[in-house]
Amino acid sequence: MVSKTLAVINKMGFHMRPASLFVGAMAKYPDTDIRILHNGREIDGKSIMNLMAACIKYGAEIEIRCSGNQEQAMLAEAVSLVENKLGDSD
Amino acid sequence: MRIIDLLSQNAVCLGASASGREEALDRLIALQGKAGNLSDAARYRADLLAREELGSTAIGNGIAVPHAKSGAVLRPGLAAMTVPGGIDFGAPDKAPSDLFFMIAAPEGAGDSHLEILSRLMVMLMDEPFCERLRRARSPKEFLTLIDAQEREKYPEQAPEKAKGSDGRLVLAVTACPTGIAHTYMAAEALEKKGRELGVTVRAETQGSGGAKNVLTRDEIAACAGVIIAADKEVALDRFDGKPLLKVPVSAGINQPEELIQKILAGQAPVYRRTGGFPQQDGVHESAGRAVYKQLMNGVSHMLPFVIGGGILIALAFLFDAGALNEENLSNFGTITPLAAFLKNIGGAAFGFMLPILAGYIAMAVADRPGLAAGFVGGALAVSGATFSHPAGTDVSAGFLGALIAGFAAGYFVLGLRRFCDRVLPAALEGIKPVLIYPLVGILVIGVVMCAVNPFVGMLNAAIFDALGAMGTASRVLLGCVLAGMMAVDMGGPFNKAAYVFGTATLTAAAGPSEVMAAVMIGGMVPPLAIALAASFFPDRFTPEERKSGPVNYVMGLCFITEGAIPFAASDPLRVLPACIAGSAVAGGISMAMGCALPAPHGGIFVLPVMTGVLWYLIALAAGSVIGMMLLALLKNKRPAGTTPARGE
Repeated sequence: MVSKTLAVINKMGFHMRPASLFVGAMAKYPDTDIRILHNGREIDGKSIMNLMAACIKYGAEIEIRCSGNQEQAMLAEAVSLVENKLGDSD
Repeated sequence: MRIIDLLSQNAVCLGASASGREEALDRLIALQGKAGNLSDAARYRADLLAREELGSTAIGNGIAVPHAKSGAVLRPGLAAMTVPGGIDFGAPDKAPSDLFFMIAAPEGAGDSHLEILSRLMVMLMDEPFCERLRRARSPKEFLTLIDAQEREKYPEQAPEKAKGSDGRLVLAVTACPTGIAHTYMAAEALEKKGRELGVTVRAETQGSGGAKNVLTRDEIAACAGVIIAADKEVALDRFDGKPLLKVPVSAGINQPEELIQKILAGQAPVYRRTGGFPQQDGVHESAGRAVYKQLMNGVSHMLPFVIGGGILIALAFLFDAGALNEENLSNFGTITPLAAFLKNIGGAAFGFMLPILAGYIAMAVADRPGLAAGFVGGALAVSGATFSHPAGTDVSAGFLGALIAGFAAGYFVLGLRRFCDRVLPAALEGIKPVLIYPLVGILVIGVVMCAVNPFVGMLNAAIFDALGAMGTASRVLLGCVLAGMMAVDMGGPFNKAAYVFGTATLTAAAGPSEVMAAVMIGGMVPPLAIALAASFFPDRFTPEERKSGPVNYVMGLCFITEGAIPFAASDPLRVLPACIAGSAVAGGISMAMGCALPAPHGGIFVLPVMTGVLWYLIALAAGSVIGMMLLALLKNKRPAGTTPARGE
């Protein structure tokens, strides 16, 4: 298992478009599990509904945990997505 | 922000059909428009489509949440739709989408948009819940499901029943004479200020579209006080014992904070109801009890017309009694100028009787919008208008026709209100009470009554023919039938047929007629039987009925059958059989003993010109007593303390 803690820096947080983008990217790693820890809750990073339900706002601190065959690559892509504002312009 | 507060019943469409993505979006946009969330539907549509271009808003499991932040959105809101079978919406799981929630968010909505989305997802992640939503049979059921789910998932934010956010609850009733704008502005101002102050304010609006958000008994019991912001009369009985402020509707709009603070500070005087019947809870009543209350609303409003008019007509006969002679018998009641005056005034009051009955029944059913259609329906029942004779025929549908008119008008307008609430955009709220309800309501009740009345006319003609054929059969039986018919509908087709038959024999005989005597006694018995029953068996009647009982002695003796109508209308299945039986007995005795009458009306005032007066009085007494006994037998005793409240 690998993990990284980082802040959500796009102003809108995990709204629907970022969530779809994120989940779409994570679907490329079928054998690897991804969990996001936010506000004391563990969220399945491959479920749009779970991600949106978590209501992750701008500035929120999240921990991304990946475990499985491709955990390194998956974590790297997930972190890069969040750091690049999840496709939002601000 | 709660989902249930963002989604209104008219923004829910179940079982919609849509051929593709754009049609589904258009339907949802129309729902948003109807809920009054948009300032510019076309612009909102463009923003939505632009958002869909960035990626589908379908999220799998058959759910799609199209949304856009847009400058064309007036206030945040939701629209929901189910599309059985589903459509291709580009879902990540490739499955068709059949459950849609569309979010309208104003520009710069910030985190609230995210919160709405999050809440919706928390609720929709529960698949059995989504199944229940798909199977909901009405928008109301749909909203009930959502409310229950939201309370379960967010218990800490669920509004506790009948309690404010900090335990304090202030109630308000707003009303203005036109009931279009100020009523709602005051309600909104009060509720909004309440939110700012951290107090739950619930406002009932008594607009021209009828009362909405009606306050419940629990809320009234729990509230800190009541603000009545109204420029018209508001019934206050239900607020007995509560701190209450009465202010003009403008105060509700301009000084909501002052009013709420006054209630919270305990500065409002406690309202005490004066007199009247104890108010009963209207929430859990049975259908039968609801119909009874609607009926009684009509009857209690009609009663003053019957009593006032009836007594004036009785006086007319009294003043004319001295001037009565062989020549002017058929004009009895209008011979002297004073009598003619009184009889016409009384007649004018009687003319209102049935429209009032129908109008107020309809009003009890459909609230204010029902009134006009009910009145007109009642008037058409009286005139007997048909499609071929829209100006009216000489066969009135009587009080039974007026009952039909009242309920038909009421339930039609009620349906119309619900239909309009669902179909018309909120922007048209103002023209519903001033244009749609009156126009459509009156037109439809006109069609209904013109369709019903011909049957009444045919019934009348058939009865009249049957009476003619009976003329040669048993005289006693004829007397029974004629007198009984007088009591069947007290002014409708049966009564009319019997009465016309009686006056026809009068003309044919050119002198005293036994048939006319039987007819008149049939019309005298019902009020007398009721008056006797109200005197000797008061526990069978409501307090109001008991008080108006004695007037029926006068009406009965004067052959004013209408006096019995309020009693018959309020309990037709028991009162009518009793009256019919009593009348029939009296008619039979009168006929058997050969009593004969030379005048078409007059009651006891024409006794001096009658043949067989003694037997006639015996017949009258016998019929009235039998009617009374049957009334006592058929009508249930009313246990003390369960007096039903009147409609108003």
